[in-house]
This record gives sequence, C-alpha cells and structure tokens, in this order.
Amino acid sequence: MTAITDEPRTSTERSIVLSGVSKSYRLQRGAQLTALQDISLDIAPGEFVALLGPSGCGKSTILRIIAGLEDPSAGTAVIGGASPHALSQAHRLGVAFQEHSLLPWLTVRDNIALPYRVAHRPVDAAHVQELIDLVGLSGFENARPKQLSGGMRQRASIARALVLSPDVLLLDEPFGALDAVTRRRMNAELGRIWAELKITTLLVTHDVDEAVLLADRVVVMTGRPGSIRHIEPIDLPLRVNPELTRAPEFHEIVDRLTSMLDTAKEG
Amino acid sequence: MTLRARSVLYGVAGVALLLLAAQLIGQFGLVGKTWPPLTEVVAFLLDPKNATLLGNALAATVSEAAAGGAIGIAAGIVLALLAHLVPVLAPGLDRFAALIDSVPQIALAPFLVIIIGREGTPVVVVALAVTFIVFISTNSGLTAATRQHQDLFTVLGSPRWDRLARLELPAALPKLFDGLALAAPAMILGATIGEWFGAKRGLGVLFVSAMENYRIPLLWAAAVLSVLCSLIIYGAALLAQRAVARRFA
Repeated sequence: MTAITDEPRTSTERSIVLSGVSKSYRLQRGAQLTALQDISLDIAPGEFVALLGPSGCGKSTILRIIAGLEDPSAGTAVIGGASPHALSQAHRLGVAFQEHSLLPWLTVRDNIALPYRVAHRPVDAAHVQELIDLVGLSGFENARPKQLSGGMRQRASIARALVLSPDVLLLDEPFGALDAVTRRRMNAELGRIWAELKITTLLVTHDVDEAVLLADRVVVMTGRPGSIRHIEPIDLPLRVNPELTRAPEFHEIVDRLTSMLDTAKEG
Repeated sequence: MTLRARSVLYGVAGVALLLLAAQLIGQFGLVGKTWPPLTEVVAFLLDPKNATLLGNALAATVSEAAAGGAIGIAAGIVLALLAHLVPVLAPGLDRFAALIDSVPQIALAPFLVIIIGREGTPVVVVALAVTFIVFISTNSGLTAATRQHQDLFTVLGSPRWDRLARLELPAALPKLFDGLALAAPAMILGATIGEWFGAKRGLGVLFVSAMENYRIPLLWAAAVLSVLCSLIIYGAALLAQRAVARRFA
C-alpha cells in the first residue's frame, strides 16, 4: 500500500474550470429544454468537490461535459488549460459511472488493466495487483463480473478509473445502485483510498451524507434548469475520521443541505 | 422428476410418436406406395450395397455445404464490418442483401447454373443464403455494445481500432453465433437445391434420380440423410452459441 504514495509524482495536478456552461437540447417543434444554466465553478488541483442535487438537475450532464462525452451549448470547460477531449486522448482521465461498465468477457484483472491496453502501454501487473488489493478485491482477480456483487463491481470500476494515475477523477453516482449499508462502507473506503492519492475529483451524488463525508466542498444545485444554488465548504476532517459522522456538527450540515435540496426540487 | 428432465422426456416422446406414426402409415400403406415403412428405409440405409452411392452423395453435399458456409460466413462478416465502419454504405448493403435473399433459391439456381455452371451452383446457393443471414446478425451485433461501454472507451481515449477489436467485436459475438445457428439448417438445404439442376453428385441428385426412376426407398433414404445432417450441424451451432453467450453476454 505504501508503494502508491512513494511512487514519483508522474501526473501533473490539474484544475477544472467551468465558465458560464449551459446545455440545451432541442425538442420537437422548436421547443428547447435547458438542462444547465450558466454554471461557473473552479475546482482547485487536488480538491474533492461533490455535486449535490435532485434527480434531473443536470449534475450528470456537468460531469459528462468535463469528461468530454458531451459539448456545452455555451461556455467552456477547461481542464488544466486543455479541453476535456485532450485529457481523455492523453489517457489522463479516470471515470467511474453509476453502471459499472465492466466488460463481461474479461476477468477482474483484465478489466482493471484495460486502460493500459487501450493506451497501448505495457501492463504494469504489479500496479494492477496493488489496486486490486487497495480496493479490497484480493482473491477475485480471475472472477468474471457476473460472479461479483454490485459493491465489488463498483470497486473494480473505481480501481480501473485509478489504474493510470489520472489527473482528474470523475465519479457519477458510483454507489447509486447499492444498498445503504454497502454504500456507507464504500464511502469510507473511497475516503481512505482518496487520502492516499489526492487526485482532483468531482463526485456527482444525490446522497447528502456521502457528499458531506467525502468532499472538501459541496455544490448544491437547483432543479431544471440546473444552476448552482450554494457552495458549502466542509471543514470537518471527515474523510480521515469517519466516526465524526456521529458528531452534531455533521448532522447540522447534512440537515441544512438537505433542506436546501428540498426547496431546490421545487425550483 | 426435474423440470428439465421432463421437457427432454416430452421431446423424446414426441419424436418417438412421430416415428411410430410414420412406421405405421408405411406398414399399412395408408397413403399408398410412396410412403414405405420406416423399417424399409432404415434397412436401405444400412445395406452395404448402397453404402458407396449414399456415401458419395452425402460427401458431395456436405462438402458443398461446408464450402458455401465458410464463404458465406466470411462474406457476411466482412460486409457487416464494411457497413459498420463506412456508415454511408450501410443502407445500400442492407437493401442489396435483402434483394438477393428475397429471390427464392429454387428460382435463383437455374440462373446461377447459366452463369457459373452446374458444379459451382450448389456452393454459391449456400453462400448467398448464409451471407445474408450472417450479415444481418453480425450487423445487428456490431451495434450491441451499450452506450455505457461506448462512453467508457471514449473516456479511456480509445483509438477507433481498439474500440472495434476490444469492444464492438466481442460484444457482437453472441448475435453473430445466433446467426450461425440460423444459417445452419440453410446449408444442407441450399446445397440440395443447388444440385437439383444437374450437378454430378449429391443428395439433390439422388432426390431427382429417385423421383424419376420411382425408387422410393432411395428417395426416403436421401431425405433422412439430409435431415440428420442438418440436425447435426444445427446442434453444433447451438452448442457453440450457448458457449459464446455464457462468456460474452
């Protein structure tokens, strides 16, 4: 496990800058659906930001724009001075989706090693094994995704997102399909993993506890059209001390943000 | 008895009943001389005097089916890849394939005999039928990769070739093998129809010759051999399809 933090820092830390990003879709008969309205957000290098919002508020769209999967209708998304496409073309982007998207015909080990092959780099088997151990999948290297539980598949998906030591990590509701107990456990694990790696990270979630537990800052979004309602800095060291979730300060923040979400739904 | 054992038993019982009915119809001459008892057909098949005749015919038909099948599978996959990688060609290829397939083989065969000659026609008839089936199923399979998987390869910065080789082709295999299972019965049938119009050897030739010379047991023997061959090829295709579906779906 110490091997990861001792590794020379080959990645260049990157910031994410969204300026006036809007996204609209044209519907039938000339109508327009505005998913995102004028989103401006700066994410510093090495910062963990959570995007919190009700379903359909466009938070996944923001993540997809940063990932280069969609283009904004207006405004720009700049990552470390380059376009999102440049980042994925350089294989410096790690994404874990809500659907684990593991390839069903590959083993866990081959799934996690896939980014090496797609980038035409020799597979660093030791590093792949390190990540398998880090996410707690030791012993399941040769299993197929079909044989794993939902939580285990998501762990493999996160390991795959981390395998090339990306500059930016995007997590789109990675634990959304899991039950509450597994989700809490995975939150604690992600916090532990992230503490070792400190990658610029954006987490999209509708789970307030998860956002407050993991993030340095929580961005609360309104409903359609999606815009930023409030940004809450989190000062409690929750990632390293998850037992602080029992503290009254934690509950106060969660309650406040939850009530913001409630009114945001009507927005 | 388990559910599965019961359904197998029903299947076997059904086939046994059919064979029994066929035997009885022949034994009591219920539809005349053209339907002999099954025992007579079996005796004809097992008679060593007929071994060369039946054996040569079987070998000829099976080799045509195999050759036509191999060409058809290769052509179907190549055309599907072409339609997938060069989208502007896709509608044209689709329509052309449908056009060729919509002409009944029995009408197409004499036309082919004129162009290609008697010897080549069976292979071409099989190849055309198999090409169409494999083209349609492979084409459908190449778009089977989910949007989530395509997004994954985009964020991994995948070149086009890697996307094709590591995602789209493996994801296409289940549908491709579905197509092979569909094409299997068409192979023996196509070869037989192709032989109808004057090939030198084959089960189709036996059919024609038996009909013209009123050799009823030979006619039935050739029919039984065709059906058995088709079933074996289909069974093999089905096993392959199940194995592929287990791994790739």
